[in-house]
Amino acid sequence: MAKIPLGCEPVVGSLTPSKKREYRVTNRLQEGKRPIYAVVFNFIDSRYFNAFATAGGNRVTVYQCLEGGVIAVLQSYIDEDKDESFYTVSWACNIDGTPFLVAGGLNGIIRVIDTGSEKIYKSFVGHGDSINEIRTQPLKPSLVVSASKDESVRLWNIHTGICILIFAGAGGHRNEVLSVDFHPSDIYRIASCGMDNTVKIWSMKEFWTYVEKSFTWTDLPSKFPTKYVQFPVFIASVHTNYVDCNRWIGDFILSKSVDNELVLWEPKMKEQSPGEGTVDILQKYPVPECDIWFIKFSCDFHYKAAAVGNREGKIYVWEVQSSPPVLVARLSHVQSKSPIRLTAMSFDGSTILCCCEDGTIWRWDVVASS
Amino acid sequence: MSALNTSTSASGSDPPIDGHQETGPSPKAIVAVIDSLKKQVASDRSIYIKKRMEENTEKVLDVTKNLYKLSMERRNFKIICGDGGVDLLAKRQKDAIDMHSGIGTSNGDNESSSSQEDGYAPSAILLGSSIAVKNAVRPIKLPEVKKLPPYTTWIFLDRNQRMTEDQSVVGRRRIYYDQNGGEALICSDSEEETVDDEEEKKDFVESEDYILRLVHLMQIAETTIKEVGLCDLTLDLLAQCLSRKSCEIKGRYEDLIKNEIALCRVNNGNAESFVNPYIDKDLDAALDSFDNLFCRRCLVFDCRLHGCSQDLVFSAEKQLPWLCPDVEKEPCGPNCHRLDLESEGNATVSSKQTNFDEKAATASNTSAMQIQKRKQGGKSVRIKSKSCQSESASSSEIKPNNDVTSSVKSAYAGKSSGDKRSSKRIAENVLVAKKKRQKKMATSDSDSVAGSGLSLKDLNLRTNSRRENEDISSSQKVKSTSSRKSRRKESLVLDFDKSLQGEADSGASNESESNQPMASSGDTLKKEEFVDENMYKQEVIDNKYWKPFEKALYEKGIQIFGRNSCLIARNLMSGLKSCSEIFIYMHRSEKKILSHDGDGTILADGCLKADGNETAGGGARRRSRFLRRKGRVRRLKYTWKSAGYQSFRKRISERKDQPCRQYSPCGCQSACGKTCPCLVNGTCCEKYCGCPKSCKNRFRGCHCAKSQCRSRQCPCFAADRECDPDVCRNCWISCGDGTLGVPSQRGDNYECRNMKLLLKQQQRVLLGRSDVSGWGAFLKNSVGKHEYLGEYTGELISHREADKRGKIYDRENSSFLFNLNDQFVLDAYRKGDKLKFANHSPDPNCYAKVIMVAGDHRVGIFAKERISAGEELFYDYRYEPDRAPAWAKKPEASGAKREDGAPSNGRAKKHT
Repeated sequence: MAKIPLGCEPVVGSLTPSKKREYRVTNRLQEGKRPIYAVVFNFIDSRYFNAFATAGGNRVTVYQCLEGGVIAVLQSYIDEDKDESFYTVSWACNIDGTPFLVAGGLNGIIRVIDTGSEKIYKSFVGHGDSINEIRTQPLKPSLVVSASKDESVRLWNIHTGICILIFAGAGGHRNEVLSVDFHPSDIYRIASCGMDNTVKIWSMKEFWTYVEKSFTWTDLPSKFPTKYVQFPVFIASVHTNYVDCNRWIGDFILSKSVDNELVLWEPKMKEQSPGEGTVDILQKYPVPECDIWFIKFSCDFHYKAAAVGNREGKIYVWEVQSSPPVLVARLSHVQSKSPIRLTAMSFDGSTILCCCEDGTIWRWDVVASS
Repeated sequence: MSALNTSTSASGSDPPIDGHQETGPSPKAIVAVIDSLKKQVASDRSIYIKKRMEENTEKVLDVTKNLYKLSMERRNFKIICGDGGVDLLAKRQKDAIDMHSGIGTSNGDNESSSSQEDGYAPSAILLGSSIAVKNAVRPIKLPEVKKLPPYTTWIFLDRNQRMTEDQSVVGRRRIYYDQNGGEALICSDSEEETVDDEEEKKDFVESEDYILRLVHLMQIAETTIKEVGLCDLTLDLLAQCLSRKSCEIKGRYEDLIKNEIALCRVNNGNAESFVNPYIDKDLDAALDSFDNLFCRRCLVFDCRLHGCSQDLVFSAEKQLPWLCPDVEKEPCGPNCHRLDLESEGNATVSSKQTNFDEKAATASNTSAMQIQKRKQGGKSVRIKSKSCQSESASSSEIKPNNDVTSSVKSAYAGKSSGDKRSSKRIAENVLVAKKKRQKKMATSDSDSVAGSGLSLKDLNLRTNSRRENEDISSSQKVKSTSSRKSRRKESLVLDFDKSLQGEADSGASNESESNQPMASSGDTLKKEEFVDENMYKQEVIDNKYWKPFEKALYEKGIQIFGRNSCLIARNLMSGLKSCSEIFIYMHRSEKKILSHDGDGTILADGCLKADGNETAGGGARRRSRFLRRKGRVRRLKYTWKSAGYQSFRKRISERKDQPCRQYSPCGCQSACGKTCPCLVNGTCCEKYCGCPKSCKNRFRGCHCAKSQCRSRQCPCFAADRECDPDVCRNCWISCGDGTLGVPSQRGDNYECRNMKLLLKQQQRVLLGRSDVSGWGAFLKNSVGKHEYLGEYTGELISHREADKRGKIYDRENSSFLFNLNDQFVLDAYRKGDKLKFANHSPDPNCYAKVIMVAGDHRVGIFAKERISAGEELFYDYRYEPDRAPAWAKKPEASGAKREDGAPSNGRAKKHT
C-alpha cells in the first residue's frame, strides 16, 4: 500500500484501556458444537430491545436478556436441511409491525421467519451461492439487503417476497461480498465490501420507483422486473486484503480487514464523475490478534461504541466517535479462547454478547460503578 | 481542510523580509524548521479530524433519535393494530420475565398448559438462573427448500463485449480462498507483482504543498541567495522528510511558484468576458464525441464491442450528396430563401442574378468567350433588372420563375465548377481576363480565409496582383494598395472602404480606364459597381456572423444534402442560420470559387489543397489531441503478447489448427497493395475497409441462388462466414416471415439461410437444473440437424488475460472461456447468455463454430443432430487432450460444479 502522505495521517487510538466502563461475564451458553456466526439484538422495535437472535449451524435461536445475567431461550428454528449453515441473521419487520427474522447462509436461501406466529413466512431462492450477511433498512424495516458469495448484493422486499435490485455486473464486486450496510439516514445508499478488497458505495436513487413498486406488486414475485445496478457511485480501496465488515457511522464508514484494526474513513465523492473520488482515512482502532477473516463488529444503537472480538476470544470495545479514539474496555476471560465471529451490543451498550467458533455465546454486563 | 487553510494564512501573514545575511542556514536548522512544520501539520490534522468527528457525531445523534422514535412508534403501532392474534414473541418474552421474577411459578403452569392446548410450544427456558428448567423449547422446523446449483451473478449479453480495462485481473492480486483446504492462496505471479509495484505517481497533497510554500517563504527570509528559490540542500532535506525523490520535490516546487505567479496575474487582470463555449468551438471539436464514441460498424454510440476511439476509416468511394427525391417548390419556412427572393428589393435580386450569370459564364471555361459572355450576361441581366425595377411589384408573378431558373443555374454552375476543380489548370489563360472586380473579390476572399493564415495563398495573391499590374498598368496605384491591404490581412471593412473610395471617384480616369477593355458603357459599369457595393456590404455583415463552427457545419451540410439550403437549414443549422442566410452564403462562396477559377487555378488549387489539408490533416491532429486530453474516453487497446498461451479451455478445433485472425479494417485509399494491414494480417478486406470495392483482397460474397447458402458450395459458408446482404449478390432480407401478411417476394425456398446470427434468428433456450450436473441449457422447441440454436456471447478478453483468469476459474472448477481467434478469448463468466450453461459431453448433440459475421468473429451453436423439444444441450468443449483439467475428462464435466466442502469445515481460518 502506498505510504500515507504527510497531513493525511489517521489518528490511531491507544490500546491503553480508559477504564471508563468495566464489563464482567454474567452468562455463557453452549448452543452446540457448530460455530455460531451471528448474534444480533433487535433495534427495530423497542418492545424487543432485549431480545437477540443467533445463527449457527442449521439453527436460528431467539433469546431474551433478563436481569442478573439471565438469558431466556424464546424460540428456536431448525432448518430441515442438516447441511445448511446459517452465517447471518437480521431483525426486520413486516409492514404491519410483525417482528421478522431474516437469516441466510451456506445454501444461499434467505429464510424469512415470522417470530410473531413462529412460522416460516417466506424463503427466497435466487442467490447463486452462500449468503454472508443480511442487513435491514432501519427506516423501512421490510427492506433487507443481502451480500453473497455469488458476487452480488440484492435488495429484497420481505413483505412481498420480491427481489427488487441486484447490485452486480460491470462495476460490481469481483469476488465474494462479505458485508453490506444501509446508510442510516440516506435511504438510497448502501455500502458493501468483500473479498475483492474493495468497499463499494451504491445508490439506488434512480431505481427507487422499483422499490416503491415492490410494495404494491400483486403478481407473482418472479414476474417483478428486477433491475441490475451495475455501477457503484464510489469504489474505495482502503484495505489490501479481504474486507469482511463495514458499517456506516453517519457519513463515515467503519470497516475492517485482517490487519488487526478497524478503520474509520470518509468517502469523498466527486459528484460529476460517479465511481471516482478519494478516501480520507480519519481514525484507526487497533485490535490485536484480529488477523483472520469473517470477524465482524457491532455498534450500540447510538453508534457510540463498537465491539469487536479477535482470534483469541478477547473483545475490544472502542469509543467510535471520540477523537482520538478511546478504548473503553478490553474484555477477556480465561475460558474464552475461541475466535469470536461477531459481537452484539445492546441498545445502550451495557450488555455485550459474543458468539464464538466453538459454539458458545458469552454475555458481558457492565459493572455498575459504585 | 479549513484548519490547514487558516494556519496557512496565519503564518503567511508573516512578512517575508529579505534578510541579507551572509551565510545560509545550516542543514540542522533547516531540518529543525521542517520538523516543526511537520508537527504543525500533524496537529492541524488532528484538529481537523476532531472537528469532522464532532460534526458527524451530531449527525449521528439526529439519525439515531429519529430511528429511536420509529422503533417506539412500532411498538404503539402493534398495540393499536392488534387484531386479536397472539404475538408469540411478545408472549414468550412475558413468560420469561414472569418466570424469572418468580411470580408465575404457579401461574406459569397454567399458562404453559393453556398454550399447549393452543398448540403452541411451551414457554421459554431460563439459562443461568437459579430457577430449575422445566421444559425445553421445542424447535420449530423450517421446511427444506431445494437450493440452486451454484452460479456467479452474471449479466445477460445479446452481443459480445470487449473487456474494459478495469476488469482485468492481470497485474492484480487476487486472494483465493480454498474452502476445502481452508487455505488462502494468493493468485499472482512474481512477474505481475512488479507490474503492480510500479504504481501510480503519488500526488502531492495539500499539506506537502503547504510545507513547500512555507519553506520557500522562510528561504526568502533567511538566505541571501540571489535567485529567489530553494537551494538544493534544502530540497534534499525536504525530500528526506517527506520521503520523496528530490527531483519530484523540485518539480513540484517550480510548479507551485508558477501557479502562484499565474494566480497573481489572474487576480490582477480580472476582466474576463463570458464566452459561449459551444459556438466558439470549431466543428471538429464538436464532432469529437461523434468521432470517438460512434461506432461506424455497429452504427451505435458507445459501442461495447469495438470500443471508443476507433481509427477512423474513410471509404475511398465517396458518397454522392443525397438528392431530395421531390425538389421542394414550397418555401421551407418563414425565412426561406424563396420568400426572401420574392420580397427583397430589386437591387439585391439583380445583384444575385448578375452573380448567377457570371457563374454561368465562368463555368464555360474558354477564356476568350468569357469576357463576351459576361458582357452579354451582365447586359441581359441588367435589362432584366431594369424591367424589374420598372415593373416593381406588379411583376411578382414572373419573379418566382426567375428564381427557379436561377437556382437551377446555380446548381449547374456548382457542378461545372466542381468539374473544373478536378480538371485543373485549364483556366491558366484566364489570367489575361483580369478585371478589377475579380481582383477585389480575390482580396476579399483572401481576407475571409486569412484566419487560416496560409502564406501560400498570400503568395499567390501577390503574384496575381503583379500579373494584374502587367495587364492593367493604368490602375496600378489602386491595386498595389489593395494588394498590400490584403497582405496585411485587414478586415473586410477596409476593403469596403476602399471600394467606397473607388465609387467616390468612379467617374475618374483609373476606374474607367480599367473598365475600358470591357467596352461597355459607363452607366452600366457604375451600376455594376453599385451592385458590387451591395454585395460587399452583405459580405461584411455575413462574414462577421458566420462563425467557424457554422461554416464547418455548412460544409457538412453541402456534403450531405448538396446545394439545398432548405434542407441544410432545417437539419443542421436550425437556431443558427436561416435558410435565406445559408442561401446567400452558399452563392457567395460559390462565386468565390468561381472567381478563384477566373484568377487562375494556381490560386484556387492552392486554396483547395490548403483547405483539404486543414480539414483532413488538421482534423486528425485535433482528434488525437482531444483523445489525449479527455480522460473519460475508454481506450480498449491491448498489447498482445505472443507468448505461447496454454489453452485448456473450450476450444473449437476444426480442420484448420490455426485460430482465425482478428479483422480490423484497413484505411487504404486505393486498391490494397502489399502493405495493406489486412493483407499483412492475413484477413480479407471487408466492407468496413477504406479500400475501393474493386480491391483484390476483398471477400466477394456469394452468388448463390437456390442453394440457400447452406452447403460448402456457397463461398461464404465454406469460408465460415455468414452471408452479408451488402456484399452477396442474391442474399437478401425479406420483410418478416410472412406472418405480417406481407407476401415473401421470391418464395421462402430461396431465402438465404446463412444469416441467422446477423438476424438473431435463434432458438429459445431455457435454463434449468441439468440432468447431469449443475445448471444446464435446454431447448424449448425441436430443431433439425445443423439448425442454428443461438450465440455464445461473452466478454472479449486477450489471451494473456484469459490465462490469468483461467487459473482462477480452474481452481473453482468452472470455466466459461472460449477461444475465439488469435487475439481474443470469450469469457462468459460474468457476462454472457444462457448457452454458457450448456454442459460438456464427449458425445454431444450440438457443436460450436466460429463464424465471421460482418467483420466480427462470433460463436454460433448449431444442432449436430435432430434435437427434440426440452432436450438438454451438450457440446464438446474440445479440450486439448493433455491440457484438459481432470474434471473435464469426466463425461459430465462442465460449467459450475464444485463439491461442497463438509459443512463442518464451515469457515476455516484464513492465514495471511
